[in-house]
Parts: sequence; C-alpha cells; structure tokens
Amino acid sequence: MSLAIPQGLDNTVERPGERAPLILGDSTTYTTVTEMVSQIAERPPGKAWMIGFVISATLASWLGICILYLFYMGVGVWGNNNPVFWGWPIVNFVFWVGIGHAGTLISAILYLFRQDWRTSINRAAEAMTIFAVVCAATFPGIHIGRAWLAFWLAPYPSLNLWMWPQFRSPLLWDVFAVSTYGTVSLLFWYMGMVPDLATFRDRSKNKWRRMAYGVLALGWTGSSRHWMRYEKAYAILAALAAPLVLSVHTIVSFDFAVSQVPGWHTTIFPPYFVAGAIFSGFAMVLTLMIPARHIFSLEKLITIRHLENMCKIILATGTIVGLAYGTEFFIAWYGQVGEEKFAFINRALGPYWWAYATMVTCNVISPQFFWYKPNRTIPWRIVLICIFVNIGMWFERFVIVCTSLSRDYLPSSWGYFSPTWVDWSMLIGSFGLFFTLFLLFCRFMPIINMAEVKATLAGQLHHHHHSDVDAH
Amino acid sequence: MSHQAKPTIDTPKESKLFGTYAEFDNVDQLLAGCRKVRDAGYIKTDAYTPFPVHGIDKALGIKPTILPWICLACGLTGTSIALAMQIWMNAIDYPYIISGKPFISMPAFIPVTFELTVLLAAFGAFFGMLALNKLPMFSNPVFTDPRFDRATDDRFFLFVSAEDAKYNQASITKMFGCLGSGHVADIHEDTSSNTVPRPFFVIVGLLALFSTVPLLTLARMRVTNSGSPRFHVFYDMDFSPSKDAQQTTTLFADGRTMRPDVPGTVAVGQFNDSIDFYTGIDMNQLSMIDQPRATRLVRALLDEPANDESATEEPATEEPANESTMTPADEQVADEPIAEGSAVDAQDAAAAGVGAAAAAAIDKTPWLTTNPLPITAQSLENGRKNYEIYCAVCHGNDGGGNGLVNRRAQRILATAWVQPSSLHQDTLFAEQYADGKLFNTISNGIRKMPGYSAQIPTKNRWAIVAYVRALQQSQNASIDELPADKRSEVKKRQAEIEQRLREQADAEKKKAEAAANKI
Repeated sequence: MSLAIPQGLDNTVERPGERAPLILGDSTTYTTVTEMVSQIAERPPGKAWMIGFVISATLASWLGICILYLFYMGVGVWGNNNPVFWGWPIVNFVFWVGIGHAGTLISAILYLFRQDWRTSINRAAEAMTIFAVVCAATFPGIHIGRAWLAFWLAPYPSLNLWMWPQFRSPLLWDVFAVSTYGTVSLLFWYMGMVPDLATFRDRSKNKWRRMAYGVLALGWTGSSRHWMRYEKAYAILAALAAPLVLSVHTIVSFDFAVSQVPGWHTTIFPPYFVAGAIFSGFAMVLTLMIPARHIFSLEKLITIRHLENMCKIILATGTIVGLAYGTEFFIAWYGQVGEEKFAFINRALGPYWWAYATMVTCNVISPQFFWYKPNRTIPWRIVLICIFVNIGMWFERFVIVCTSLSRDYLPSSWGYFSPTWVDWSMLIGSFGLFFTLFLLFCRFMPIINMAEVKATLAGQLHHHHHSDVDAH
Repeated sequence: MSHQAKPTIDTPKESKLFGTYAEFDNVDQLLAGCRKVRDAGYIKTDAYTPFPVHGIDKALGIKPTILPWICLACGLTGTSIALAMQIWMNAIDYPYIISGKPFISMPAFIPVTFELTVLLAAFGAFFGMLALNKLPMFSNPVFTDPRFDRATDDRFFLFVSAEDAKYNQASITKMFGCLGSGHVADIHEDTSSNTVPRPFFVIVGLLALFSTVPLLTLARMRVTNSGSPRFHVFYDMDFSPSKDAQQTTTLFADGRTMRPDVPGTVAVGQFNDSIDFYTGIDMNQLSMIDQPRATRLVRALLDEPANDESATEEPATEEPANESTMTPADEQVADEPIAEGSAVDAQDAAAAGVGAAAAAAIDKTPWLTTNPLPITAQSLENGRKNYEIYCAVCHGNDGGGNGLVNRRAQRILATAWVQPSSLHQDTLFAEQYADGKLFNTISNGIRKMPGYSAQIPTKNRWAIVAYVRALQQSQNASIDELPADKRSEVKKRQAEIEQRLREQADAEKKKAEAAANKI
C-alpha cells in the first residue's frame, strides 16, 4: 500500500480545496515510516554523529569540571560582583528555560489547535525542552552559592532552620514553576514515547536490547482500549501543559518584574518574556532539526512545509518581541519616572550599547528576512537566521540582567559586569551538555513520533482515496 | 488466505486458550471487521493497532474512560495541598511579616497553587492512564506470537477473547476469514516459567542492604555524640579566613596582623595638649634632671625614629612580658631604665621590709602627683567601669588582689602564677606611689602584669587611677571621714546586719538544742 503523492511535490504551495500533504514520497507507507525512524537507533552511528558527540561530550565534561571548580573555590570565580550579582548564571538560566518553551508549545498548544504538522517535529522538540530545562536548572542550582544546600529551597520541615520558605517571593514561585515544568514535560515526553518504544522493542533482534526497550515500553500492546485512555491522557496533559508553559516564563519574568529595579519593574514582562521564549525556542528547534533531518535522511517526514511553518511562527513572535522593545521605551517615556527613563536610555546608549545593538539586530531585524519566501524554504538560510535569533535572545537576557543591575538608583554604586573564563566555559559547556543529551536521544530514542505520523498518514490516505467506507 | 492451523509459536496443547485474532493490513478492513464483530454480539473484543485509529471506539463499542475525573480529583488535591501548605507555613506556623500585608495573602499564593494543581493533575493523567490500562505489564499472552510484533509497526489486529460468552473458535475463525484477513490464529496463555532467576534476588537484596548503610550511618550520627571534630565536606562559613590578633600575616612588611596607629596621628578623643598626660611624668622637670630620657620619651610619643646614641647608651631592661601587648610607641615609652628598674626595686625593697623612704630615694623620676583628669562623679564612674573590665579579674572588685583569675590559678595550683598585688598596701598609697607612677604601671605593666596602653585609652587609664585611689580610701577609712548625714545611715545598716547575724546564730543554737533534746 502506498500513497500516490509525487516525491517532488512542493507542499509549501497552498492549493484551494486541497490539503497540502505533510508526508512526502510515493512509496511512504506505515512500514517505511517505521523503517525510516527506527533504523536511526538500530544502525551504528555515522561519522557526523560521532564527531558531534565527541565535541559536545567534551564540552559537557568541561562544564562538569567548571562546576567542581566552582564548588571548590566559591562563586568568586564568576564575574558576578557588586552591583551585578546575577550575572551570567541567571542570563543562562532564563535563556535555557526560554529555549524549552517551544517544545511544549509544539506538543501541547499546536495539539490543542489540531495542527497536524506538529507530529513530525513534536518528539524532538519535547526532548529539546527536557534538555533545555536540565541546562536551565543547573544554573540557579549552582548560583545559590552553596549548591549542596539546594534542598533548602524545598518546603520541608527542617530540624536545623525551624522555618519555612517565603511563599511571597517570585524566586520561590520559580522553584515550583520550573520543577513542575520539568516534571510535566518529562511525563508528556515519556508518555508520548511509550508506543514508539514498543515499536523499538518489537523490532529488536537482540535479547538485551529487547529487554531494555521492553522495560521502557511498560508492556504496551497497542490495544484500542489502551489507545483510548492514552489519547485522553495525552489531551489532558496537553491541556495542562499549555497554561503551564505560559505560567513558567511568566513566573520567570516575575523574578525581575516584582523587584523595584528600573528597567525590570514593568507589567509588560510576562507577555514579552513568553513571546521571546517561544521565539528563541523555535529558532533552537530549527537549528537542531535541519541538520538532524539531513543527517538522518528524514526529508520525507520533516518537510519544507514544517520548516516554513516554524519560520512563520518565528517571524510572528520576533515581531511581537520587537513591538515589546518599542513599548518598553514608550512606557519609560510616558511614565515620566526619571530612573526608568534613564534605565532605557542607558540600555540603548550606555556602556552596554553593543549588547543592545546586537540584540535588536538579531531579534528584530533578522527574523524580518522570513517575509521573503526563499528564506523560509532553503534550509541553510533558515539555520543561519535561526542562529542569529539564538544569539540575539541570549543577548536580550544579558541586556535585561546586566544593564539594569549595573546602573540603578545610586550612581555611586554603579559598576560594569565583566565575565571571567569560568563564565565563558559554563555558557559554552551548557551548550555541550544540551547537544550531548540531544545526540544521545537521537541515537537511542525514537526521534519522530511514529504512531502520530502513521495516524497523519492514515488521514492523508483516507483523504487521498476519498474513501468513505467508515461511516462514523 | 485461509488461516494456518496453529500459530507459528509452538504452544503446548494443554495451555489455556486466550483468544483468536485476525490480522489486517489497513484501517478500513479493521474497522469493517470491528463493526461486524460488534454486531455479531461479541463483547470481550479488542483491536491492536500501531496508532490510535479514528472511530474504532464506536466500532468496537468501547466505553469512555473515567480518566478526566481522576485528573480533576488529583488537580483539586493539588490545589488544596498548595493552599493548606502556604497558609500553614507562612501564616500560622511561621508568620512572615511582609510590608504589613495580610498573612494569608491569596494573590501571592496563586502561582504555587497553580503549579501544584497542574503537577498533581498531570500525575493523575499519567499514572491514572497506566493504572486503568494495567500497565506496566511485561507478560502478555499476545507477546507469545511473533506476528504480533507488527502490531506496533504496520499491521492491525482484531481480537476476540476466549472468555467471551459467545466465543466459539470455529465460527470466529470462519467470520474472520470472510473479512479478508491475511492471517487468522489462536493465542494461548503464556506458559513460560514465571519464576524470577535467583541471581536477581541476590543482586537486588545486596543492593538494598548496601543502600541502607549510608542511611544507618547518618541515623547513628544523629543520635550519638562524638569527641572528634565535625567532618567538614564543605567549610561553609565555619572557618573565617580573617586573622586573629596575635597571628602573623604576609600582607604587611612587618608581618603584624594588628596594625599600629598611623604615624603622627592620635585616635579620635585621645588628644591632650600636655605631654605629661601621656607619660605620667612632669616632663619639664625630667628634662632638667635627665635630658636624654625626656627626649627619648617625646620622640617615642611623636613616633620619630629612636636616636641610636641614646639606645646604645642605655640598653633596655624592660620585662619581656610587656612587649607583646604594646604598640611601638608605647614600647619606647616603656624603654625606660630608671623608671622601670626603680619601680621593681621599690617593690622589692618594700617586700623585703626595707623602708619606703629608701625605695623612694632610688626612684628619682618626677612622677605627676595629681591626676590631670578632672575628678568628677562621671570620671570616677568611668574609672570604675574600666577597672571592673580590665583590672578586677586579677585584682578583685575590692582591689584586694584576689580576683577570679587568681582564685582559679590557686585552685589549679598554677606554678608560674604570681599573686596580683593588693592595692591596699600603704606602699601603693598616693603618698609613696604617685598617681603618675600608678598610671605608668597601668600603661606599661610591672612584673607579670602586662601593660594596658594598647587596650585602654589614655583618658580611661587616668580614670582608673582616680578610681583606685577611691577604692584605697574606701577600705581604709574611719566612720568619722563620712559626711554627717551618711554616718547614721551606715550605723543603721551595721546594726541591722549585726541583728540579723545574732538572730541567725540564735536560730542555729535552738535547732541544735532541739536536736539534742530529741535524742
């Protein structure tokens, strides 16, 4: 059984009255979908994977060494000092949490809106969420100074402190938000993978491999009763994750907005942060997916249409972010608070003007190239623009954290933040950790949601044949 | 097309029949089969598919799940736990006062409440789904048939359970055959051994055993005491890198941790324009008798380098005990052969019973005989305070020479201990031991007593001198020296005390008599 969709079809063109196919290839069947995805984990890794893994594992190890060094020496090894005590660890934290948001958005919000094109990309995007949250959670964990006492953040009956956490602090909300987000994303990701892990199990020739995937697949059989409850659970998780993802970056923005620091104390922060998070997350998804799609020959499943749709979301959110930058300036002028006005003038023209210029160039100008269709459909151009967006979004967090803290109310305590080699190592190392986890995921887990792709294929087939046997 | 007689797996004939399945290669055939099976009245049916097939619930007659209700219950539990936790922790058990806001401030509790609601609802969805599906279940009769491996790949299986009331192997096989199935077969219960291999228990048992070791060690440490110092994995703030007073440092060229005054400066509140105030000596007179010594003292006070000539001419004889606590300036003030030597001589002479006049004759220093500090109630009170802080530990609150340190030294029979002087010997009274000399002794020490110039500001040292004089008088005065109005008061007090003592004695006597009578 095959689908009669020509291989060379451009599925980015909208034809009235016809739904553009999401899966390409004349001979694409359920069998070939399974084959295409499973062989990635079944064959020995290719050269590209090995090189990538060695590099990122080295960087991740370097991050580990830097963390040990930090524990041994104390937080003085960072550039954090009066008045910029938050420094890069918090910049990196906000950056990575933001990256994670695209995964949840794709898997939850696009699911609720019945956007079928999510099916080819949601698994990898969800995995990216988990790994980004791992990277993000590392930074506040080590930023607290005495990381071995991180459990003090939890509301447990302490015999030493005899006190409870302060529930009116956004920093504590953050603990709950990020840990809930990590947990729910993990459940969502894992639950979505169970049927595909069962596929891996059933394809295993090796006894140990079969046992390992068998344990992970929890004894999944594909029973219709199971599917029915599974789909219900999936829908509920999606419905829970959608507001959750909005709440997480809202609460992260509260860390700033609830304080009194000029440039932070604004009500625009929650929507502005959420838009920025989705913006940066989609850029990261594309940065990862385009090489992965090429290396693992998944062009038929992750089509140009998928990439183009994501580019459109980047264009939309990037424009929202640009609007937010403008609104901030307008409100700073309209509010007529001296410190606030100064904070924004200082942001754009002060000692960090170069960071602000980088941010605006990368975040506001670079996504505008997506108005031009070839930029949305030629993969290397997409990757290039997305890398600029990633850089820009890191700088956005840097600008917010450092410009406001370095020059607030009291000019006598102004300062200038300079990173140390440990700051640099940890930023680069966190990318190493992220890519290491992602490459391991590519190697051992189903990187595309086979079950959902087959369901989409079934729908496409159904449409294509205009068969209406099923009178439901 | 017709079915094979037996599934490919070699199932023992006696194993119990689980059911019969038909294999299809597309959704439409499967859905048609489902409807047919449902219409034929079979209830215990199921379909196994690689993806959720749209419309199969209706085709098979699957009832909706109660999962959403489980989620709702879990979510509400999360809400309640979060609210109860925050109210208990921040408003009842440990009320936080934040900007005068109410202890139970709901707006601030919303984020955590929301997060916990979502978290528990998500747990409800995930674990509820697994529980309702009876997963994980690693052994399932369907896994015995290798063809079933394709149920997660590209094949669709329709299944009728042997437990169905209408189950009849022959008729079902026939019906499946008519549906266009590529393969029809029976499934039997899994008869493979379900005993867990022995090594598994051994390994799990050992791991469980070892995992208790750290916990038990911690538990033991919690309930027992230990003489050895705490084990520090991380130093936290237990050890301060700052230096103590007597330690050395590499930060300064002189290696001292304690920093001397900046040369040529006087600390706030310690300036006096008379140089006598700092030395306790009438300097005009001294310069007439002993010019080099006067020069040396002035130089030392001004913190100018010592004159080499005078240093070689008159070698230092001060006691080593004085060195450690003195600032350089004071050291040089103390580098004072006549004063120091004569002070010791005077004491020795007094101790040996030599006449005080003879001792005084040796000391030619023109000590100040009057306290330069104006004597007021306030300065005396200041003197008392400083005396009780610095002097009383050795000399005693009454000046009798039996302070706490002395009592302790005697109790432990300290061999190197020299008993502090009683301040009530007549050799130490103002007539023989001038105020200036007493000031000098406090400043620079004597015998085992260290100098206190480093600890006690000059003004306070003079205040102590004044207080010591008052103390000496208090222990050696007759009642006639008191003002008239105080005399009667003291006499009354005395009478009261005597009366009380007498009563006590009487009571004891009576007690003793009563005890004797009893016997």
